[in-house]
Amino acid sequence: MAETPLYVGIDLGTTNSAAAVFDGERVSVVRNAQGASVTPSVVRIDKQGRVTVGTRARRFLEQDPTNTAAEFKRLMGTDKAIEFPAGGVKKKPEELSAEVLKALRQDITDQLGVSIERAVISVPALFELPQSAATSEAARLAGFSRVELLQEPIASALAAGWRADDAAAGTWLVFDLGGGTFDASLLETRDGLLRVVGHDGDNFLGGRDFDWAITEHLASLLSVVPSRSNIHHTAALRALRVAAEDAKIELSRGERAQVTLAQPLSIDDQDVDVDLELTRATVERLCAPLVDRALDVCLRLLASNGLAPGRLAKVVLVGGPTVMPFVRQRVAARLEATLAEGHDPMTLVAQGAALYAATAGIDGRAATSAPTTGRQVWLQYPAVSADLTPHVVGKFVGSDAPAKLKLVRNDGAWSSAEASVAPDGTWLTSVNLLPRRACTFAIEATGNDGKRVEVSPASFTIVQGLTIGDPPLSRTLGVALANGHVQVYLERGAPLPARRTFTHHTVETVAKGSKDSVLRIPIVQGEMSAAHLCRLVGTLDIGGDAVKDTVPTGSPVEVTIELDRGGRMSARALVPSIEQVFEHVAHLLVPDAAPEALDSALRDLRRQLMELRTDAFRHGLSQVIEKLDRLEARLSEAERDIDAAHGGDADAAQRARRALLDVDGTMAEADLARKWPDLDAAARQSAITASSTVGMHGTEAERALLQEVLSAMDKARKDKDAPELERQMRLATRLSSAAFNRTPEAWEWYFEDAASELSRMRDLPRAQKLVTEGKAAVERGDTEELRRIVKALWNLLPDDSEARKRGFDSGVR
Amino acid sequence: MTLVENPFFVLGLSPDASRIEIEREAQKLLGMLELGFEAALTYTTPLGSRERTPEAVRAAVAALRDPYQRLLAELWARHAPASLDEAPPPPAAASSGLRKRLGWRP
Repeated sequence: MAETPLYVGIDLGTTNSAAAVFDGERVSVVRNAQGASVTPSVVRIDKQGRVTVGTRARRFLEQDPTNTAAEFKRLMGTDKAIEFPAGGVKKKPEELSAEVLKALRQDITDQLGVSIERAVISVPALFELPQSAATSEAARLAGFSRVELLQEPIASALAAGWRADDAAAGTWLVFDLGGGTFDASLLETRDGLLRVVGHDGDNFLGGRDFDWAITEHLASLLSVVPSRSNIHHTAALRALRVAAEDAKIELSRGERAQVTLAQPLSIDDQDVDVDLELTRATVERLCAPLVDRALDVCLRLLASNGLAPGRLAKVVLVGGPTVMPFVRQRVAARLEATLAEGHDPMTLVAQGAALYAATAGIDGRAATSAPTTGRQVWLQYPAVSADLTPHVVGKFVGSDAPAKLKLVRNDGAWSSAEASVAPDGTWLTSVNLLPRRACTFAIEATGNDGKRVEVSPASFTIVQGLTIGDPPLSRTLGVALANGHVQVYLERGAPLPARRTFTHHTVETVAKGSKDSVLRIPIVQGEMSAAHLCRLVGTLDIGGDAVKDTVPTGSPVEVTIELDRGGRMSARALVPSIEQVFEHVAHLLVPDAAPEALDSALRDLRRQLMELRTDAFRHGLSQVIEKLDRLEARLSEAERDIDAAHGGDADAAQRARRALLDVDGTMAEADLARKWPDLDAAARQSAITASSTVGMHGTEAERALLQEVLSAMDKARKDKDAPELERQMRLATRLSSAAFNRTPEAWEWYFEDAASELSRMRDLPRAQKLVTEGKAAVERGDTEELRRIVKALWNLLPDDSEARKRGFDSGVR
Repeated sequence: MTLVENPFFVLGLSPDASRIEIEREAQKLLGMLELGFEAALTYTTPLGSRERTPEAVRAAVAALRDPYQRLLAELWARHAPASLDEAPPPPAAASSGLRKRLGWRP
């Protein structure tokens, strides 16, 4: 590693993409063949099958829309193929993204003369697992041997914080209004460490909505008004939209823009001329409600972190729409904050991704197989360190390791004390870094005879700068159980990579050789404890045709879920009774969104909303009514998208699908709030029980922790925050259980309780035998044995078939 | 977070450790674990010695970056007895009349 590493970051955007490189000291944005720092995410395939990407392809969006594709990022993870009739080919969204990545990779090679194989690619914070998997696949198709995915808000935060001096320490807000999504991140820099304090966003708000608002305004001025729900008007609207987008950009500088199309539009077989004037004031009036919606999200984020507007050190603007002067003014005014100057809103994400590549030690250059000379040493050190004196850990490979070594900084001004190498070849020392610089250290090793020993690698580089911890998991991941609940494996925010194992028990028999006998382990993502409110992201199946022997009901299954740094998931199930491992996870695609299915889902949600509203009025729950009003607005938006879906817009269909899912989740929360009086009473009861159990049997630490939980419960009750109250109640119950389990009678109580359910048990003879054994264990006072018996009895309790259906037909408990 | 998973125990640090000391120690432990250093493979808790994994180290440092979680971890680490017998796990989520009687179900 004698040469300077090169770290590569790519922002694969909905509308535009960009690449940046970091050499340890300087971040530079890579320019494309046209000299621009951003490349439109547009791909065209002509009748010869030639592929064009970027600005040249974008020009054809209007002239030849059927053979030119844009905004395919929104379809990532779906099986929707995009057709290019002229060339007679169909391409999946990830194949089109791969074309954009290839173009960016080529730009890097052209500009820097280095072949790139590894990079960090940014993805939206709320990307689902299938979408992330599709992004990784796109990178593979583009010839990358290794990529890591990074959430966009973290990338922009890292880039914005990198150049901040310590005087600017404090709380920052990153306002990222992209083509299709809005993300707000609150972050803090202290001691050179960047921490994401909080994150909020709107997955359905972006520059694209600005364009549609302007397009619809322009359409309303035409002599024949085209409609988004009419499939025959699609071409006319597309042409109008491209013109609207250009006018919007023009109005970032001037006061007026002329929207003129060279060819008349064909609407309902009539030629309609387009020659309209658009003023900056009109655009501002049309877009202001959208900017306000983004600002509401920011204010909500500030409030949930106890911050008032005006308390922010800086606001960093990211994304194309933030270039518009009125957006900048409105943000500064409502957040009462100074806007950070000197950041390029279009390339900040790519720059952050490049910096992150350094943090994660992902050198982009293709591996060279230069012959190694000298004794080989394995090194572990941070490629980027906020700490000025980080540790360096090493191990010499093979026997006959050198006796001592020291590290010498390349400026010659510092060298480490001599460290001894242990008999197994290991050693540990620390180095001194220069602030905000890349330092290279030479390894000088000596043998027992005091003579120099050549080592390989002979040196390594560490950059001193802002670092961010491991990327956090964006959504809670777990396994749906047969009782309709979710066993959480990895909580939202858990640092990646992560791995967790839990033991479940089967609720049905898997008969050897039977094809129909399949035990399903559904893997779900979401924040709700009820499985049906989470999203199914994959399943592990244990099939009768694959098992070595029959697996009876109640058999233990050890399930392990693993996520790598980029959020890619793998899972396996071990069935100890037959010593067999099942690893094939059926990864699901984002479900298809047929307009008819969306229609019926919308009708159902409207009906439920009506019921909830009537009920909320009856009980005078103003907070719930407010929440329902917001949902009503979201449903109206979804309805517009469904209209466009009927007009053949697959992207709008996906948008509507996600909006409906979101509304469904929020409605469940509102439903919880409706049951507030019951929940409130249960919370009081739970507090009393926990206080007395923990008071009597708890440790000092448990008592202290319960105090925290009780005050959090109080706060949730005051705020009428039902999901939070449920969470805190679960914590109180856990503390209570832990304390209660410490009592000598606990397992006798559990036994008595389980035995009273005997008549309902699934395997009656076995249950009867266990009860007899349990009685004997009680008499003997054998708590260990009793515990085993009680757990076996719990496994024989029947499941409710309705609940199981809600748990995606899970075969485990 | 259970007692044996207390971040301060996992990292082998005292609850007074500064932010930078925590990051430094975690980075060192991750390096040592990667290269299989014997000394890094286990850590001490009041309930005896436990296996130290890279996942546990990452989770520990992530927890200590969050002020609220750090406060809880400090509290547990300071109040932890020198050693105690392991408590049995909480009961599985089963429909239980007893738990209902104890007021544990909404």
